[in-house]
Amino acid sequence: MNKDQARGGAGGHASPSRDIVYADYQSAKPVDPRVVEAMLPFMTERFGNPSSLHGVGDEATAALDDARVRVARFVGAQPDEIVFTSGATEANNLALIGYCRRNRRKGDHVLISEAEHISILNIAKVLEKEGFRVTRVPLDLYGRVSPQKLRARIVDETILVSLGWASNEIGTVQPIEEIAAMLDGTGVALHTDAVAAAGLLPIDVGTVPIGLMTLSSNDIYGPRGLGALYVRKGVQVAPVLVGGGQERGLRSGSEDLAAIVGMAAAADIMVAEMPAEVARIKAIRDRLVERVLAEIPDSHLNGHPEQRLPNNAHFRFDGVEGEAMVLSLRDAGIAVATGSACSSKTLEPSHTLISCGLLHEEAHGSLEFTFGRFSREDDVERIMAALPPVIERLRALSPLYRAKA
Amino acid sequence: MKSTQYSEKTLDHFRNPRNVGILEGPNVAMGRVGNPVCGDLMEMYIEVEDDRIKDIRFQTFGCGSAVATSSMTTELVRGMTLDEALEVSRGDVADALDGLPPIKMHCSNLAADALHEAVKNWRAGIRPDDVGTEPVATSCAATGEAEPVEIAGLDDYEGKGVHRVVADPAALADQRVVVLDTGDAAAQTAIALTDHTARVVLMTTAKDPEVSAATRSALRLSDVKVLTEAQPLSLHGEGELERIRVHDLNEDEEYELTADAFVVLR
Repeated sequence: MNKDQARGGAGGHASPSRDIVYADYQSAKPVDPRVVEAMLPFMTERFGNPSSLHGVGDEATAALDDARVRVARFVGAQPDEIVFTSGATEANNLALIGYCRRNRRKGDHVLISEAEHISILNIAKVLEKEGFRVTRVPLDLYGRVSPQKLRARIVDETILVSLGWASNEIGTVQPIEEIAAMLDGTGVALHTDAVAAAGLLPIDVGTVPIGLMTLSSNDIYGPRGLGALYVRKGVQVAPVLVGGGQERGLRSGSEDLAAIVGMAAAADIMVAEMPAEVARIKAIRDRLVERVLAEIPDSHLNGHPEQRLPNNAHFRFDGVEGEAMVLSLRDAGIAVATGSACSSKTLEPSHTLISCGLLHEEAHGSLEFTFGRFSREDDVERIMAALPPVIERLRALSPLYRAKA
Repeated sequence: MKSTQYSEKTLDHFRNPRNVGILEGPNVAMGRVGNPVCGDLMEMYIEVEDDRIKDIRFQTFGCGSAVATSSMTTELVRGMTLDEALEVSRGDVADALDGLPPIKMHCSNLAADALHEAVKNWRAGIRPDDVGTEPVATSCAATGEAEPVEIAGLDDYEGKGVHRVVADPAALADQRVVVLDTGDAAAQTAIALTDHTARVVLMTTAKDPEVSAATRSALRLSDVKVLTEAQPLSLHGEGELERIRVHDLNEDEEYELTADAFVVLR
């Protein structure tokens, strides 16, 4: 991370510095200072290992049990349905690889969607190498999976459907409730990566019949390096990481108690503050969308107009490339992301945008704004002071852009 | 190395590109190169006098290094003989910018290639207006004849995404509609569909849709996305149309376009 991002990431009340407008909350979130405060004792005086039999260990066990209760409450789960992991990527590995290995005798077919996070896509490739068949369900114009198209691809051998609750990229929210109800009782388990949705949409596994669900600590303003997998009672998974048998044998390794306590504190804050926070963030986002579409010609909103994460604004601008926009906005003190290939390690444009029906040149012109807890109302004014001249300058360079008369 | 870790010189050429624009006149040639997957497109214009590059301009759609390498190339070769210009390599351009991130060396360093194209076009007598038409010259659309195209699966998907007539545009609401350019009626249908869905593509094998001047300007003002030099090859999908395999005639590459409806008027 460069120093600009670090400063911006710790903006708001964590740091009075407002040099940078940070509008890339989907990439990284600052840890809430209240969370840091809750964690600190567990790095020094309350350092015990829950596996130890002495009093110091017992105190750690009590803190771990308490944290599990609080994280479970955040999503409507039972405490013993929460398995702490090193992050969302590990939770996704445990969900897909662990479930498929454990349930292979039931079948060898898995469904994912074309909107999935790269970790799911790459885990699916590993499953294919292990002999499983993976089918990708296509998306509609707005990035949604149609329950009918999904159902049409279920075969007798299908054992698992993995579908992200919402896209971390274009922000589109999937009809998870409908799909969960459709799969309930069919013997096909549903895993959802809820990392992008948690803290922005209400999640209650008590009412939505989901089998497995991935959570990330940092995405609710907790520390990085921690995540959790919700495993519904009765859903069987094989461990992917083996060792001392912690987390009911599903995830070995001494628990990172400070981080777990941090995630619990972050979850508590969400339970208390989420409705008001989401309303505030959504107002900022709505204002940006309204102004960009009204003030910048040939600009488009990617993803669903309504069924989208309340913090996400994902645009494309005809005739302009994404990395060039990000670089120019960086010069203007604004931190944002793009789905352009030129910013990725693979040099491929966003698979989600291509699957929504965009052409390569259009997918390259995308720009993603994501707001969060420390975003401010005047961020939109600062973005709108910088963005139109950037687009205008890059269009003047571009052989692809011809303004409508 | 991160893609954004550019040298100061690269950033300077990105922020303040030199020699942006186009050239016109009898002594001008143009070279165009692009990579559809990478998403870069560069046009390099040269004005030639006494076998030397008297003036040079560029237009680039692309990332930071695509813009910077274009700008640097124009600085490097102005005043050179054409033979000297042909010797300028991608490596020379990258060196002049104090290096590029490794991932950018291949994809976004096409400016030298665009320059070489321009010199070759000059020597072959190809002028800017002719660039890019060669690959399409053999297709039926370019000759103005509306011959039927062979598209695999057209009959199989009839009623399952393929429409030979659009009686009720509202029935295609919220669908990704690709309309094959078969003349003015197709273009008018495409324009009418934009009232019902956010995504309408008019696909033509030609460099421009084969329509009247009035329809052309209506298209320009509409929300129809015009996809040129694109030949549909085959239709795919699970029980209904989901993807169209397309041959990009300009780049001679194939790719798949996601679509729910394909309109080929009778």
